[in-house]
Amino acid sequence: MDANRFDLGGGEPIIILDDVAKSYWRETLEIPVLQGIDLEIPRGSYIALMGPSGSGKTTLLNLIAGIDRPTGGSLEVCGHHLNGLDDDELAAWRNLHVGFIFQNYNLVPVLNAFENVELPLLLTGAGRGERRDRVEEALALVNLTDRMFNYPRQLSGGQEQRVAIARAIVTNPDLLVADEPTGALDAKNAEEVLGLMERLNAELGKTIVMVTHDPKAAHHARHQIHLEKGVLDRTVEVNR
Amino acid sequence: MRWLALIWKSLMRSKRRTILIAGSLVLSVFTVAVLQSLLTTLNAVTNNPNSSNRLVVRHKSGLTQMLPRSYEAYLRQQTEVETVCALQWFGGYYQDPRNFFANFASDETTLFQTFREEFGLAGITEAQMKDYLRDGAGCIVGESLAKKNGWKVGDVVPLTGTIFPINPRLTIRMIFKSPKPSDENVLHFHYKVLEEGVPRMKGLVGSFWVRTHRPEDIPRLIERVDRHYANSAYETLTETENAFNLSFVKMLGNIGAIIQGITAAVVVAILIVTGNTMATAIRERTTEIAVCRAMGFSSTRVLALLLMEGVLLVGVGGLLGVLLANLAAGGVRSSLGAAMPFFADFAILPDTVISCMAGALAIGLLATFIPAYAATRRPITEGLKAVG
Ligand SMILES: Nc1ncnc2c1ncn2[C@@H]1O[C@H](COP(=O)(O)OP(=O)(O)O)[C@@H](O)[C@H]1O
Ligand SMILES: [Mg+2]
Repeated sequence: MDANRFDLGGGEPIIILDDVAKSYWRETLEIPVLQGIDLEIPRGSYIALMGPSGSGKTTLLNLIAGIDRPTGGSLEVCGHHLNGLDDDELAAWRNLHVGFIFQNYNLVPVLNAFENVELPLLLTGAGRGERRDRVEEALALVNLTDRMFNYPRQLSGGQEQRVAIARAIVTNPDLLVADEPTGALDAKNAEEVLGLMERLNAELGKTIVMVTHDPKAAHHARHQIHLEKGVLDRTVEVNR
Repeated sequence: MRWLALIWKSLMRSKRRTILIAGSLVLSVFTVAVLQSLLTTLNAVTNNPNSSNRLVVRHKSGLTQMLPRSYEAYLRQQTEVETVCALQWFGGYYQDPRNFFANFASDETTLFQTFREEFGLAGITEAQMKDYLRDGAGCIVGESLAKKNGWKVGDVVPLTGTIFPINPRLTIRMIFKSPKPSDENVLHFHYKVLEEGVPRMKGLVGSFWVRTHRPEDIPRLIERVDRHYANSAYETLTETENAFNLSFVKMLGNIGAIIQGITAAVVVAILIVTGNTMATAIRERTTEIAVCRAMGFSSTRVLALLLMEGVLLVGVGGLLGVLLANLAAGGVRSSLGAAMPFFADFAILPDTVISCMAGALAIGLLATFIPAYAATRRPITEGLKAVG
């Protein structure tokens, strides 16, 4: 494996992709979406994954986050070989290691901010009191303590995304994956969310992989890598 | 928040839809519970354990034909027989023809022994019994019938005959209680009133109610009595009391088949409606389910949560339906109980409640399982892409 051609800084890798490929089949016709992806991402990185629409960014992110399976190659993420886990083990692994941030926030509309953030904690063994402390802590971190009992429809887009971020970090995962997290936000709210993610990386040491096609958003990450027609570009841009 | 709260909130996502579907469940369970209870009540009439050692002897050609009262002597001679009671349906009414209840001219000397379970003799005083036996124009009435008409012991009840051209004025000598409410909607008076008042009834009676010592004796006795009177001027038809009652229930048509048919139709309809509703409710949540699974909810967990939602929905609907049916049963008892005695026993029995609830739960599970299972089979990535 020649992952070192990407200079993402040193340190112990938290994500190791070895010759990862993903294809879809339409009838008998194979449609390759990702090909020969070799990638090592050190713990504590903040990577922006760029590329034109349809280049396979989401597909790659989903593979790293363990909600999709490759058709070739292997992945090791947060110390686990994902290929070797069955669906239930993979689900448990995600709960423990991965926080998800989506373009459309994807909060549960019938739950208030507190309950939305609490949702992934229901799967952990945490008791009522511990869950409350952690939810409050996460909401304080995204500066929404005063909106704790508001429902998604009572929140602005920016606030909804911040609740979603609180939900992503409440289980204290090592890895955050974000697919176009600012895609639905105006410039001001986008800045706020990006600033928050920067803090999660800098202050809490979260490894973040963010898919975006917005160069301004990508500039908030520490490194940018590019995907072109399912193949990783060799150049890495270093922002800071 | 606990799991149950999560399930409840998911269920209340579309209140209107949830209320509508719960409402149709309430109605369906109500309908089925009432119909099935009607069937149970009718079956109880023809499966009365109290009548296990009683026989009815009547004319072979039908209930309007009479038998000689002298047959009683032959019946008594049979070793299996404990006692015999001559009994004739009088068919009179009190004040208003619509105010219908069962009234009989019967042999007062054997009535209480023949029907001792029905009379619940415990509450009756020796004095009342003597009063009735002594007063040829006396009568006895069940407590619920007395209550309904405001009768007390000593009151005179004028009966207007419909089958027989007499209007006896009867003095209430006893008000009896029965273990079963239906047995209290009855009036009996001395057979002599009919025999002496109606010339064509001289020496005749519609039926003999025979009490045997043991139920096992019954088949043999039936056969012997009918054979004895075969080819006589008055041939007999002897049958168990339950069989006799069944011939009345049968007059209502094949109620059992009708009720089972309606029940099946209701079950199928509600299964389709519930299935469709749950499918829509789950489809609307495709993205949400995918998000939960991404966060680490296993397929089994998602399936269980959705199934519990379905079960909670039909559980609440079913419970309300059964409750409503119980209220309705009380109404039926008080409104129809006097006119049709078996309705006085109308009740939603525990067995019916259990099978209605089990049926509702099965419908909820089945209706939810199909869309819920499909939702957990769907790739997470696809669910995340879905709009909604
Ligand atoms: N389920 C699927 N079946 C077939 N093709 C798919 C499927 N999912 C994604 N693709 C294809 O894979 C390619 C990459 O998709 P995606 O990873 O979503 O791109 P990006 O996120 O970079 O826009 C696209 O051409 C898309 O049409
Ligand atoms: Mg994409």
